[in-house]
Amino acid sequence: MNEAVWVVTLAAAVSAGTPLALAAVGEILAERSGVLNLGVEGMMLLGAVVAFLAADAAGNPWLGLLAGMAAGGGLAAVHAFLSVTMRANQIVSGLALVIFGTGLASFLGKPVEGQPLGSRIENIRIPGLADIPILGRILFDQDPLVYLSWLVVGLAAFYMVRTRAGLALRACGESPATADAMGLSVARIRYAHVIVGGLLAGAGGAYQVLVRVPAWNGAGTTAGIGWIALALVVFAAWRPWRALAGAYLFGAALAANFALQAAGVRVVPAEFLAMLPYLLTILVLVALSASSTRKQLGAPAALGVPYVREER
Amino acid sequence: MPEDRHPPAIEARGVVKEFPGVVANAGVDLAVERGEVHAVLGENGAGKTTLASILTGLYRPDEGEIRIKGEPVALRSPRDGLDHGVGMVYQHFRLVERFTVADNIVLGDPRQPMITSARRLEGAVAGLGERYGLRINPRAKVADLSVGEQQRVEIVKMLYRGVEVLILDEPTAVLTPQETQNLFETVKAMAADGKAVIFISHKLAEVTAVSDNVTVMRDGRVVERVKTSSTNRRELARMMVGRDVDLSVRRSKSPPGPVLLGLEGVGLAGERDAVSLQEINLEVHAGEVVGIAGVAGNGQRELSEVVAGLRTPSSGTVHIDGKDVTGAGASVARRTGLAYVPEDRLGTGLSPSLSITENLLLTRPSSFFTRRREAEEAARGIIEQFEVKASGPQAPTRELSGGNAQKVLLARELSEEPKVIVVASPTRGLDVGAAEAVRGLLDERRAAGCAVLLISEDLDEVLSMSDRILALYEGRIVYETPGEGSDVEEIGLAMAGGH
Amino acid sequence: MEVRLERRLTKESLGQRVAVAALSVVAALILGAIFLLLTGFSPLTVYYEMFKSAFTTWYGITDTLAVSIPLILTGLAAAVAFRMGLYNIGAEGQLYVGAILSSWAALAIAPGLPRPLAIVLVLGAGMLGGALWILVPAVARAWLGTSEIITTLLLNFVALYLMRYLIFGSASYWRDPAVTNFPQGKTIPEEAYLPVLGLTRVHLGLLIGLLAAVLLWVMINRTRFGFNMRVIGDSPAAARYAAIPIRRTILTVMLMSGALAGLAGASEVTGISHTLDPNGLAVNFGYTGIIVAALARSNPFGVVVVAVLLGGLQNAGSTLQTLSETPVPIETSYMLQGAILLCALAGELFVRYRVHIRRGPGATKEPSGGVLRGARSGP
Repeated sequence: MNEAVWVVTLAAAVSAGTPLALAAVGEILAERSGVLNLGVEGMMLLGAVVAFLAADAAGNPWLGLLAGMAAGGGLAAVHAFLSVTMRANQIVSGLALVIFGTGLASFLGKPVEGQPLGSRIENIRIPGLADIPILGRILFDQDPLVYLSWLVVGLAAFYMVRTRAGLALRACGESPATADAMGLSVARIRYAHVIVGGLLAGAGGAYQVLVRVPAWNGAGTTAGIGWIALALVVFAAWRPWRALAGAYLFGAALAANFALQAAGVRVVPAEFLAMLPYLLTILVLVALSASSTRKQLGAPAALGVPYVREER
Repeated sequence: MPEDRHPPAIEARGVVKEFPGVVANAGVDLAVERGEVHAVLGENGAGKTTLASILTGLYRPDEGEIRIKGEPVALRSPRDGLDHGVGMVYQHFRLVERFTVADNIVLGDPRQPMITSARRLEGAVAGLGERYGLRINPRAKVADLSVGEQQRVEIVKMLYRGVEVLILDEPTAVLTPQETQNLFETVKAMAADGKAVIFISHKLAEVTAVSDNVTVMRDGRVVERVKTSSTNRRELARMMVGRDVDLSVRRSKSPPGPVLLGLEGVGLAGERDAVSLQEINLEVHAGEVVGIAGVAGNGQRELSEVVAGLRTPSSGTVHIDGKDVTGAGASVARRTGLAYVPEDRLGTGLSPSLSITENLLLTRPSSFFTRRREAEEAARGIIEQFEVKASGPQAPTRELSGGNAQKVLLARELSEEPKVIVVASPTRGLDVGAAEAVRGLLDERRAAGCAVLLISEDLDEVLSMSDRILALYEGRIVYETPGEGSDVEEIGLAMAGGH
Repeated sequence: MEVRLERRLTKESLGQRVAVAALSVVAALILGAIFLLLTGFSPLTVYYEMFKSAFTTWYGITDTLAVSIPLILTGLAAAVAFRMGLYNIGAEGQLYVGAILSSWAALAIAPGLPRPLAIVLVLGAGMLGGALWILVPAVARAWLGTSEIITTLLLNFVALYLMRYLIFGSASYWRDPAVTNFPQGKTIPEEAYLPVLGLTRVHLGLLIGLLAAVLLWVMINRTRFGFNMRVIGDSPAAARYAAIPIRRTILTVMLMSGALAGLAGASEVTGISHTLDPNGLAVNFGYTGIIVAALARSNPFGVVVVAVLLGGLQNAGSTLQTLSETPVPIETSYMLQGAILLCALAGELFVRYRVHIRRGPGATKEPSGGVLRGARSGP
């Protein structure tokens, strides 16, 4: 019986890590273009509530997913506008969006708080692969969004490294002056990738509501995983596959709560277990900085700095 | 010029461009033919780079028009410029350091396929290298290349994109004499191939060496347009500045005094972002200017920081006025009589958002409350004495032009009556008047008995003032010669590692 | 049409800054009005009620002031860090830990002490708590360069869980064993109560906050330490050149920031709730403080003004919930705060840059408007 518990936990880790992975990959794309978007938590939360409301109204969780993505993208568009066109301080803008997005989400979700969602997205077992002992249960008996997330991660990685557009993206983040001089539209590229980041964050939020906790619980629905996603981007050195791996790691921390309770471990109070993922994230970030070389190799050189062409 | 069958490759007609507080171009005309090497000569601040930026589409003119092959064009962005066959190699390279050479060359090229492939490029790059004498390795990472090699990448990049008009903005400022020669060969080869090359410079020797025609600019206007073969350096200098310029070299008029700055066996371990220094032995006497020549990235910044106390050497000692200050830090160095004027005036030497008054406090010894009234008076004094153009002592220093910022910086550093002065690239980017003023100030100090260490990546600057010249290569002093009668070739060779 | 931006070189004037701030508020109110209309509320009524409840009645004004006290302190906390280019997003958590430590001091040490001494000790414990909570992110930022944004923020969640644990999750020292139907904290002894203005809820914290603002202003603008801070925030390379001890300064400033947030928690405990009350403390004082500091452009006196305004907004928000005719959810005031900040951010563009708009394509014969002609700056 013990073996089954840890297998179940790892399977839960994959599921718990999926919204993290989606949001993180989205943020990687945004940051690679040179824009720091701290509003991930707000986008995820808004995506969650909109997904819930849409799925509830339409009776179709997939519509909910699309609606949630659109909500995240919309909020991201505001950030893109402020950061790229208005040259605002990107950090403050992101924070303002979190506050605004959280407020808006709570406002919209008030009438449906605590209400369970009728239609959720169910698991799909991949025939054949799911029969592999242990790994099959963990990886191939998941909901379809997990499989889609792998596709997203793979596409993002390929896009960034092997395509012409991906090269342009990375140039915007490393040296926008160069990109501009070579005829690329820095503004357009930044807008596009920040909004895509928002779409993915919205998807991550929607995932929480459509798959994991099929109900809206106010701000507790995401409980800060948007912030963990931001840390994950640094941890992954701005590379999508590493972000996926890191997401599952943190997902394990998030799922540990469940595992320990199931194993009858009651020594550690629930609140302390809940603290684990955040403390772990801090530890990882600090450890990363201590091993300085890796950190330096990662960040896009022009991250967070607005670009103005005729700055003299 | 005789009537041509073809219209000029590129023309500017009545171009006007203004920025806050300055008219950079006040009605400029320019015409360059196919196959011509055309120099645009002017001192720093004359408006040359602005004009070039307009020709490539980076800036849009307030008035006037640009014509390419006789057709007026409205260039809204560098993309338009490239589409029309106009490209520029900027003074600060437009390269992504983290990318490979190949990636930099194809960046933004609309002819590339969606999925990149390095191999396709290598053949084309090799071909261009052969034709114009520009050998580069497409797989190398730009960050690993020397400045000269990076410039070659910039040129190949433009050629690969098929430009017919290539503009080079102050290309030789960062090259060794040999690399400069190679560049001239390349320019001539491009012109022979029918390309129009516009060569922007403030260096008279190069303009006369490589160009067919010269357009001289001053204060945003075209002063004169001449055929190079029909003029000489002195005339060009006069056109450029509007008066006779003292091109003479300044040297010390008396024998040097005691050693005021001594480095013995100084070494610096190579850190992540620093070049290592090895076995530096250096002495600067009172009343002497020692110039350190070298190509960028060979340890100049590390050397100045070690001398100024901002970095602790891993071996060896630093003595200022006989006292051992090794590893004691910058405040001790200052108190012992050292002044440091860094190359980055407005980001390091001065704090850009802070006022002139507050910047004067930057290197004063501390007390709990800041002495603002004193500093404000001192600021007023400096503004008057050095004719600094500013809106007042409370103006943020980022408001100042390069020359004025340098004046404030120098005034501050010299006000403490230092015995040793370390200056890095003191006249870089300054117009002739300001540069003369700076050189005059340093000369004055030398005569008063200061020891001056002059570090510059511009060999001309080193040659213009130094009593002794040392060459720095990969963190070592590889050559030494008295300023008088020095052999530029030999120095250049040493700078490139040939010693 | 061509739009061009030119960086303004001269420092922005106070008038410009206030104008932008005021216009941002107006813009946000307009956006808010649209939102209210869309969700079925009458903006005029809502705004009128908000203004009335927060700023016109005696009860309203004093309540506004009472709510603004923690906002002043968290605003100062964020502002002092901003001045150095540091982002303390952890004021929320530092406030909680300040509350935890100060309530412990009140329960354990204060009984029997003379009141002034008790208050000083209890508030001091709060500051210590806040400083302790920011210590790890501060050291990591100063010595390792770790981004303080995420580290301070993540600790907010840890602090929240900790606070909840002490009251809801266990029979801790803070928990009142006598109350069994609902978990509640022990009431702190009267020695540790902050004196209050008359019958209002305005406590000594207001004076402390004002004093802190004055001290901070003096420190930042008149002392060497403040000068060093500003140089580091402006250009780290210049700070290094001037031999300013960068790491030590970063650490000190962040600890100060944490202490101020902790003080906010302590003042809530000793001035309002008189117990450790997780639900009463977890109302976004920390995050709102960041908005306050951003709107006030990190000026300590501006922080006081904006804190009172946003305090009024928050106060009005809670009152609106109870309106019988048009109950408006409290989230509206959070959204309005966010909207004001967003508009202010957009407005900053106009303070930092001059915008040129030209009709027609690029090169025309007409001169562009608004550009300063004249003598060019030179030697």
